[in-house]
Amino acid sequence: MTMEDAFDARLKAAFAAAAKPLEEDKSADAFAQSVIAKLNNPDRKRVLILGGAGSTGSAIAGTQLESIFGGLQVPTEGLLANASFLMAPETMAAAAMAIAAGMVALVLPRRIA
Amino acid sequence: MAASDEELTALVVATRNSAAFGELVRRHQTLVRSMLQRMCRNHALADDLAQDTFIRAFEKIGSFKGTGSFKSWLCSIAYTEFLKSARKRKSADRLLEQYQQGVEESEAPRDMGNVVDLDRALATLKDEERVAVVMCYSCGMSHSEAAEATGMPLGTVKSHVNRGRAKLQAFFTEAEVTVR
Repeated sequence: MTMEDAFDARLKAAFAAAAKPLEEDKSADAFAQSVIAKLNNPDRKRVLILGGAGSTGSAIAGTQLESIFGGLQVPTEGLLANASFLMAPETMAAAAMAIAAGMVALVLPRRIA
Repeated sequence: MAASDEELTALVVATRNSAAFGELVRRHQTLVRSMLQRMCRNHALADDLAQDTFIRAFEKIGSFKGTGSFKSWLCSIAYTEFLKSARKRKSADRLLEQYQQGVEESEAPRDMGNVVDLDRALATLKDEERVAVVMCYSCGMSHSEAAEATGMPLGTVKSHVNRGRAKLQAFFTEAEVTVR
């Protein structure tokens, strides 16, 4: 065994000794459980903040819907004309709210980088 | 027979099975936690980063192609988390300075003289040297695996490892002479 090999072995042994406490069953299990718990229960604070912000935004947007759809000039031809016959203003408002809720649902599971 | 890392990974990708992922965490937690502890020299911060590493790994497990080992892929995520944590403190130098203020001053002394010596020795290395040495000696990665995980060229990793190793050898030799 050369001097270099001997030092390499010694270095590896020192790193292994340093990692030993982390290999203990209790430490390993506790760590794994904390990770799994975090995966199963995403950050509640984040959900509350984003959910609250999304709901407030949706509520404010909802109050504006009447004025937006009230003054709408419904075209007599084309796709929008067909849609306006099929959908009452309430349905359009519900669709807009659904889109807003969908956007919140899309953002919620994402983690901030 | 226990399932291989690749089999467990495939199961997690297909079913988002948290129990299978838990097994992967159990298998690799020592590697990731010890790597981060040696890199940032703060046990609490290292465990937080290790937790973030596994959560990030779960989120992007679909991007694991299986071309390299799961261990290398995990270490590259851990390294990215370490760098992100360093950037959050504005500059890596400031972070290093903070870490170098004594070994684990905030923690009670542990019954492991070797660990303290090792951490002191690692503190004498430059950031990149420490990362390369830790990956190769602590995680048992090859030079090319370390290059893949860090994004550094292979030659750079080799020279960081050699330089770091020489500095560690000098540190321990000097320490031994002082003790005698």
